[in-house]
Amino acid sequence: MNNDVVIELNNAWKIFGEHAEEAMQAVNSEGLGKAEILEKYGAVVGIADCSFNVRRGEIFCIMGLSGSGKSTLVRHVNRLIEPTAGEIFLLGEDVMKLSPTALREMRAKRIGMVFQHMALLPHRSVRDNVAYPLEIRGESKARRWDVSQHSLSLVGLDGFEDRFPRELSGGMQQRVGLARALASDPDVLLMDEPFSALDPLIRRQLQDQFIALSEQLHKTTLFITHDLDEAIRLGTRIAIMKDGRIVQIGTPEEIVTNPADDYVRDFVQNISKLKLVFAHTIQVPFNQYKPMEGEDLSRSPRVSQDVDLDYLIDVAVKTTQPTVTTDENGNDVGVVSKDRLLQGIRDGK
Amino acid sequence: MPDDTKPDVTKAIPKIDLSDSIREFSRENSDYYVESFSQIQDSDENVTPWNKAALLFGPAWCAARGLWNLFWLFTIAEIVALVQIGRGLWGDLGAAKLAEAEQLMQRAQEIRFEGGMAGVTGGETASSAAEIAMNLEVAAQAATLEAQAAANLWWIYLLVGIVLFGVLRYVMGKYGNRIYELQYSAWRVNRKIASGLSTKRLAFALVLLIVMVPLTLYRFTATTPVSWLVGVPVSNVYYTNSANALDSWFDSTAEAGAGVFDGITAGAQTALDVIELLLVDAPWPVVAVFLVVIAWRVASIRVAIFTAASLLYIGLLGLWEASMVSIVLVGAAALFCVGVGIPLGIWFSRSERAYAVARPILDLMQTIPPFVYLIPIIAFFGTGRVPGVLATIIFAMPPVIRLTALGLRQVPGHVKEAAVAFGATKWKILFGVELPLATPAIMTGVNQTILMCLSMVVIASLIGAKGLGQEVLTALQFVAKGQGILSGLAILFCAMMLDRIVQGRFQRQEDQ
Amino acid sequence: MAEVISTVEILEEIPEVDISDSVRNFAGQNGDYYIREFKRIQASKHGFCWTFNLGSAVFGPLWATARGLWGLFWIFSVLEMVLLVMLGLGLWGDLGIDKFNRADRLQVNYERMLDRVEAAREKGDEVGVESFQNRAASLAKARDKARAEGEAIAAGGTRLLVIAIVGLILLKLFEGWVANIAYERQYSRWRGDRTVRSGLNWSIGALGLVIILFVYVVTLVRFTFSNPPDYIVEIPIGKKLYDPIASGIDYWFDLASQNFAFLFLGVSRGIRIILDAVEILLVGTPWPVVMAVIIIFAYRSAGIRVAIFTAAALVYIGVLGYWEKSMATVALLGTASFLCVAIGIPLGVWFARSERAFSFGRPILDLMQTMPSFVYLIPIIAFFGTGKPPGILASMIFGLPPIIRLTTLGLRQVPKDVVEAARAFGATNRQILRDIEIPLATPSIMAGVNQTILMCLSLVVIAALIDAKGLGYDVLEALQYAAKGQGILAGIAILFCAIVIDRVIQGKFKDTEKGG
Repeated sequence: MNNDVVIELNNAWKIFGEHAEEAMQAVNSEGLGKAEILEKYGAVVGIADCSFNVRRGEIFCIMGLSGSGKSTLVRHVNRLIEPTAGEIFLLGEDVMKLSPTALREMRAKRIGMVFQHMALLPHRSVRDNVAYPLEIRGESKARRWDVSQHSLSLVGLDGFEDRFPRELSGGMQQRVGLARALASDPDVLLMDEPFSALDPLIRRQLQDQFIALSEQLHKTTLFITHDLDEAIRLGTRIAIMKDGRIVQIGTPEEIVTNPADDYVRDFVQNISKLKLVFAHTIQVPFNQYKPMEGEDLSRSPRVSQDVDLDYLIDVAVKTTQPTVTTDENGNDVGVVSKDRLLQGIRDGK
Repeated sequence: MPDDTKPDVTKAIPKIDLSDSIREFSRENSDYYVESFSQIQDSDENVTPWNKAALLFGPAWCAARGLWNLFWLFTIAEIVALVQIGRGLWGDLGAAKLAEAEQLMQRAQEIRFEGGMAGVTGGETASSAAEIAMNLEVAAQAATLEAQAAANLWWIYLLVGIVLFGVLRYVMGKYGNRIYELQYSAWRVNRKIASGLSTKRLAFALVLLIVMVPLTLYRFTATTPVSWLVGVPVSNVYYTNSANALDSWFDSTAEAGAGVFDGITAGAQTALDVIELLLVDAPWPVVAVFLVVIAWRVASIRVAIFTAASLLYIGLLGLWEASMVSIVLVGAAALFCVGVGIPLGIWFSRSERAYAVARPILDLMQTIPPFVYLIPIIAFFGTGRVPGVLATIIFAMPPVIRLTALGLRQVPGHVKEAAVAFGATKWKILFGVELPLATPAIMTGVNQTILMCLSMVVIASLIGAKGLGQEVLTALQFVAKGQGILSGLAILFCAMMLDRIVQGRFQRQEDQ
Repeated sequence: MAEVISTVEILEEIPEVDISDSVRNFAGQNGDYYIREFKRIQASKHGFCWTFNLGSAVFGPLWATARGLWGLFWIFSVLEMVLLVMLGLGLWGDLGIDKFNRADRLQVNYERMLDRVEAAREKGDEVGVESFQNRAASLAKARDKARAEGEAIAAGGTRLLVIAIVGLILLKLFEGWVANIAYERQYSRWRGDRTVRSGLNWSIGALGLVIILFVYVVTLVRFTFSNPPDYIVEIPIGKKLYDPIASGIDYWFDLASQNFAFLFLGVSRGIRIILDAVEILLVGTPWPVVMAVIIIFAYRSAGIRVAIFTAAALVYIGVLGYWEKSMATVALLGTASFLCVAIGIPLGVWFARSERAFSFGRPILDLMQTMPSFVYLIPIIAFFGTGKPPGILASMIFGLPPIIRLTTLGLRQVPKDVVEAARAFGATNRQILRDIEIPLATPSIMAGVNQTILMCLSLVVIAALIDAKGLGYDVLEALQYAAKGQGILAGIAILFCAIVIDRVIQGKFKDTEKGG
């Protein structure tokens, strides 16, 4: 097992309903589909045959519409929901084989979780909310206060520790939720649509804050969202889910430029590709390019072939010449004409 | 004017053709209903076509067409009309008066006879007896006359009956279609509503009518209807036997379980004694100060003032001891209810199965009038304070159980999930998350329980519990209005005092 | 693993929170002491830690009040009071006084008996001498026993004294220990809620002192003096005020019932007419007809299972000869609930419309429900006498509040936008009420009807007390003569009536819910 893999899910299945076990057997032996299982066994397939790895320090986004099973999937990692079949490894340990005590131990020390509806305890002060995981672990009060203070300052909530959750705005409440998840200094962060319930503006702010925080703390994060923009902004890699299945896993660019099927293509269509498509994708090899009339490649601006379209546009508007791209050694490797650039903006190819 | 330019939209609207759906609804005789429904729906005024079937067959038509409410209404009304007709035709209208006259005559004769006997011995009584007998005879004659007059009025009954019947049928015929149209409109959105003409329904209605109408007619118009119709013809052997059997069963059970019952009684008695020592034996100034300061600290200064005023009322009217005894009774019962009810509520919120078993029992506990379970309590525990507390507990326990279970079930799932995700144990979730969040509901339950306990104070006195309840009960027996109202008010004040203090505590928590 | 090491570093970087200033702020006097103690408590796991607060140990409840810890104040003062009473009893209480008095009386009797022995001896009555001697001996034995018991109890006094002293010392130790822990909790709460009492408050402390002195002295006097003054044991006023007020009320009631007799009689008559009609329907109609109608009704509204249960219940009632009484009870119930609904729904509509009427009516409704039902039986008897109509009136007082309340509630919960929409289409107030508010409030109103009927049922039984007859009367009679069998049989009949009615209404209720 790769030491760098923090979370590993292999062929996980979750079927809800009374006859889940029988339905699972039927799936294994006969390969029934979702609709057939519902019809035959009255059971609902939550997630079907999901496998993925999350590497140390990466933010792994799971994106899907509501009902696609993404929230169910994330709850398998800390076994809030028991899978019907499949393997789950967390930090190299087989989660399915943990005793109840060991499982609690793991939840308390290794995993921090942030919820869509904050799930703060209304009768406790912000400090006591943040310190809750430590309290469960039986830490002393002094330690709890120190850690929660620190954790709150990480999310920029200094001075709010003696307030109650209801005195805070939604965005601040979610920051408390994040501080609570960070308080136990977990190895893994599970974030279940943490920003979905917030206003767009505040959501944006929290995303920025979260990006900054991740760069500082390097927490391995499993991030659930229904918003592709958010996934692309935050994710190192993205998994797209549909009807309980993972349709595609890849980097944001792979997803945008190379959608696995029509479903993903539909999604990606309206995503701005300017920052996700790079010069090397749309350039014509330098030696194959035939300059048009009045074009002189020697007067063209030179940019790295790794710049994104956004940057290319900035360069292109300042000149009448096509842009020449270079590799890391400064050699000319390709040309991006204006036609090509426009085409790239339109298709991402 | 804009009106002139506006196109007449209404004329352009095509007419909906309902005939198929009406046909589907009415099935038999559908053409007739298509026509009459469309008339009803079209007309702006109250133009309704007559329904001859309804006019002729009345309730039977209603039943056949599935208009059951109408069926019952008209059946009862028509029976009333028919009873009047029957009375007019063959009823013995003067029967009651005639019987009275006969009785008076007989009495007069008796007195005359006695007077005659007395006349042999002494004169004065004889003459007075003769006078009385005369009066009686006059009265008897008057009664006979009245009876004749009543019998001569037979035509009024007949007339009233016929008119009533006619009016009923007229209403049926006139409005039958209108009501049936309403049924049709309802049927359009809910296909379960009866439609068509069903012979099954008709047959059922006919059986009902054939049984009900003659029996009732006979019962009300015959002079002396057969007795099995008036009362249920059962000898009281069953009653006596079962009552005796129950008596002996209770006696033997009480004897067999004497140890258990006496043990419970003794245990409860000691607990009550301890509380009573605190409230009744402790010097009254101490208790008063204690209650007022508690009210102030726990609730607010206003509640403290109210408490002080209530205590003043109780003290000045000399109801102190009775009140304290009642508060002890209520306090003990309420404490027990809360102490047992909250854990039970927790259990029921956890186990769907346990709740399914317990819910009918809880329903029953609340539906049964408390009078009923006083009897077994007396049989097993005798009379006095302890059985009073037991009855109070049975009556007052359900709300706190129910609302605890409800409150715990209403704790948002995501909050509980968060606690689980951070590795909390079951107990930590219960005490750290669920109970605090369910507090408002639980406190409502506690509050209701306290009030219900207080409403049992008087009933508990029926089986020998002392205190304010007894005062009210004796007042009731002797119609001593003053005593009853004064001690009733004292009960009310005690209830409000306890209620406000507990609520105040809760409101403070809310404010935090 | 590099990552883990870096997290450890982050943990070690966590700066310590300095609570000193805030604790000083909180504690006021003696701040430094509390800073030290609180830090110790907070550093301990599970908040368990050996600390000792001398102030609390010495002053106990006083310290607790001065610091605003009222919970501790009550615990400390009650425990101290109990121990002080024991101490007082041990020190100056006349323990065993009853026994000593008895011994003294026995001594007198003994001496008298000895005199009689002497007298008998002088007379030469040998038999008398012997019997008197025997009696004297037994008296002496009883006297010695009483004295011994008295002494034992008096000796128990010293034991009591020792227990009290030891108990007090332990209590003081406990007070010293628990004080700082409780105070630290108070501090944590105060941080989130500044209304929590903080600092050392002399005036509250003084109040605590006054309360404690008063309570201790009075209690000690009451329990340790052999003859405590009467005014402590009982309120000295007694029934001096009670009697004139009670008879005054009596007088006013009599006056009112005489002057308004026509009114009360009218109401009584009105109720009587409705009741008679219902009774003819239920009691007069031949029983097979009534039974059939009830069973069919149960079947139609609640299904076959309820119908079977209903049939069984009716058979029970019929076979045991309760038919007439049950029907009389149901007639009472029906009349009471009918009147409740007929009066309650319009009132509920009114209360929903007029804020003023509601704010006026609500306390009355509260009072009607909180007041124990027996209490208002009394004025009802005074005005309306005994019998069935007063019974119905009493049931109505009990049964009206739920229907009014739930009608009002239902109407108020009708979504404002729906009413607004209707108004926007030009509906009149009456149309809005008829077409929108009432249909939307139906579930709530039906719940009110259900509650009202059950409330009336529980009171119809109680109304037997004022001679309203019916099944309740049988139970009452059984209660008076402890006739268990009769009581249980009648009780079960009531129970069956209640369950049948409840189920049928619930069934109906579910229907309307589905329909709506």
